Amino acid sequence: MPDPIAAARAAGRTLLTEVESKELLASVGIPVTPTRLATSADEAAKVAAEIGFPVVLKVLSGDISHKSDVGGVELGLADAAAVHAAYDRIMASVKQASPGAKVDGVSVQPMAKQGIEVIVGMTTDPQFGPVMMFGLGGIMVEVLKDVAFRIVPLEPRDAKQLVREIKGYPVLEGVRGRPGADIAALESFVLKVSEFAAAHPEVQEIDLNPVFAYPDGALGVDARVVLAPVS
Amino acid sequence: MPVDQQRLHRVLNPKTIVVVGDKGPNYQWLTNQKEFPGELYSVQVDENEIKGIEELGFRNFKSLAEIPGEIDLLICAVPRQVVPRIVKDAVARNIGGIAMYTAGFAETQEELGIQLQDQIVQMANEVGMPIVGPNCMGIYNRRLGIRFGAEMIHAEGGNIGVMSQSGSHAGGITNEAQYVGLEVTRTISMGNAAILNEADYIEYLADDPDTKYIAIYIEGPRDGRRFFDKLREVTKVKPVVIFKGGTTENGASAARTHTTSLATPTALWEAMVRQAGAIPVVSRDELIDTLAALVRIPPPSGRRMALLAGSGGQSVAISDSAGRAGLNMPRLSAESYESLKGFFNTIGGSYFNPFDMGGTIGGNSVRGQESNLQKILDILSADGNLDAAIYELGAGGGPNRDPERQTRMLDTIDAWRDGSWKKPLLMVVHPGTNAETYNETRSALIKRGYPVYPSFERAAHAFNRVERYWTNRHERGG
Repeated sequence: MPDPIAAARAAGRTLLTEVESKELLASVGIPVTPTRLATSADEAAKVAAEIGFPVVLKVLSGDISHKSDVGGVELGLADAAAVHAAYDRIMASVKQASPGAKVDGVSVQPMAKQGIEVIVGMTTDPQFGPVMMFGLGGIMVEVLKDVAFRIVPLEPRDAKQLVREIKGYPVLEGVRGRPGADIAALESFVLKVSEFAAAHPEVQEIDLNPVFAYPDGALGVDARVVLAPVS
Repeated sequence: MPVDQQRLHRVLNPKTIVVVGDKGPNYQWLTNQKEFPGELYSVQVDENEIKGIEELGFRNFKSLAEIPGEIDLLICAVPRQVVPRIVKDAVARNIGGIAMYTAGFAETQEELGIQLQDQIVQMANEVGMPIVGPNCMGIYNRRLGIRFGAEMIHAEGGNIGVMSQSGSHAGGITNEAQYVGLEVTRTISMGNAAILNEADYIEYLADDPDTKYIAIYIEGPRDGRRFFDKLREVTKVKPVVIFKGGTTENGASAARTHTTSLATPTALWEAMVRQAGAIPVVSRDELIDTLAALVRIPPPSGRRMALLAGSGGQSVAISDSAGRAGLNMPRLSAESYESLKGFFNTIGGSYFNPFDMGGTIGGNSVRGQESNLQKILDILSADGNLDAAIYELGAGGGPNRDPERQTRMLDTIDAWRDGSWKKPLLMVVHPGTNAETYNETRSALIKRGYPVYPSFERAAHAFNRVERYWTNRHERGG
């Protein structure tokens, strides 16, 4: 597979697909679910059998930023028949919700074990350049905007503070008998994304949402990389 | 182009100043510099103004070219249309740099203003000439008596550097800091920051041996990234307090949650200040309160606070204040309580923490023994559970006022602070009873070198900010 950034540039895109985004991030050691492209229902079923059920299918299109908004995500598909049916449903609903979008197929990935949802992101600020964001995912970020920021590049102590600065930090420590998250793994995750951002000034935005935080380790289950427009 | 820091140093510490375009009846720019020990000249072409300037004893020239010798600082007060000509002359004359009071440039958001500013920037940048402003109050220099207000202090000393994007805060911060006994070495009013911006100035203050503490008022940075990089370095060796104005967000947040939509200017600014290890404050009061504690107490060893009320302490309210500021109020050691039991008057008082000492050491309305104060202080010194103390002193506004007794008490406290205590001690005087005695007491405490606050609340918060700074700096190896 060619360099995802070069491929996107060659195609005149700034938005990398989920498969490209994850490949890019995985190449620098950021833990993400292995994700592959399938361009037909048959191929999706074949890939799913290779990586092992249950799987998740997500629409793959450089024109679609929010896949679940257009019915482009199908979770927990247990066998080949389910994958077939899900593929067809995705294509139909995307065509209806987003008729102009160029659809490359779907991404196929193993259904990750549920963890505590966190969000790790990077954006490029006109004043400060690349900045990292960390927060609890799901409703915590949507409603409470419980997130914290640090300017890239982060030092280890910056990552430490970043993770602890959010109000929801006790959730990560574990509450009411629920297991906590591997905080060191989250700090390392954030530092790796910061390093990647520092080394790639052509990358303008990164969203890893959600990242599942486990008692041992962390795993990015969706990823979105946006390049800066060519000047 | 990056500013030549040595040339900026020359501008901020001039030997020769020229005021261009000062006007009657006050001739404020000339008269404000009347104590400046170097050469001070005026440039004015208006015959009526020349008459007034010469009557005041200032030497006037018709042009910069006529002035003998080198010129380090030009204070520019001409109308904006004339500014390009003055800058051109200044470049030709190869002066050090300009403090540009003249306004009406990019801040007006009008075409003419923007155009004029661009013109000045281009001329100055071609030769690397530093310009402070435009649209600013210029510079203040305590030792050289360079001032932008007649009330500003001209004196020896100074260890604080101030930079402010607002001219009014530049003066306000400087004067209020000095009013509580602090010494501001220099102040820079940044104005439009068209040529020199906050990153240049913090670089200068970082290297300035006469600046040990830095106070900043800023609204919007011009070069945020470079400012952050410099700020992160300087906070390892000099405390920096930052008061940010204009933190109200406009623009509703986007419906979808993205890193970009969440990264509001305020959120990023706050993160930047924290990451850089500076001390964020939200008002001028907080800024002055924090500076006073930074300068006037030693770096704290921790957050365990003794709260001492010398006059009918409001124990519960005091504890609440300290708690809100995140401070600990530990119990003392068993030995300390054993010693206190021997003499402390617990009727209407308390020797738990906070200490309500009124009935024990005496005061205006309650009998007690003055000598007990020394005993209490000695016990505090010997106790290993304390890192700092806040002492509330009665201003003694009542009819039984005894100024000599107060002086004796303060002498006792001073000796304790400098002798066996040697830990942070902050003073509180409430402005409650009598304006005259309040001011006297407050002034006495300021002269004796204390950081003084009108409430426990403000003292506790100032201590909290300062303690956090030092802890953070220590963790960063600074």
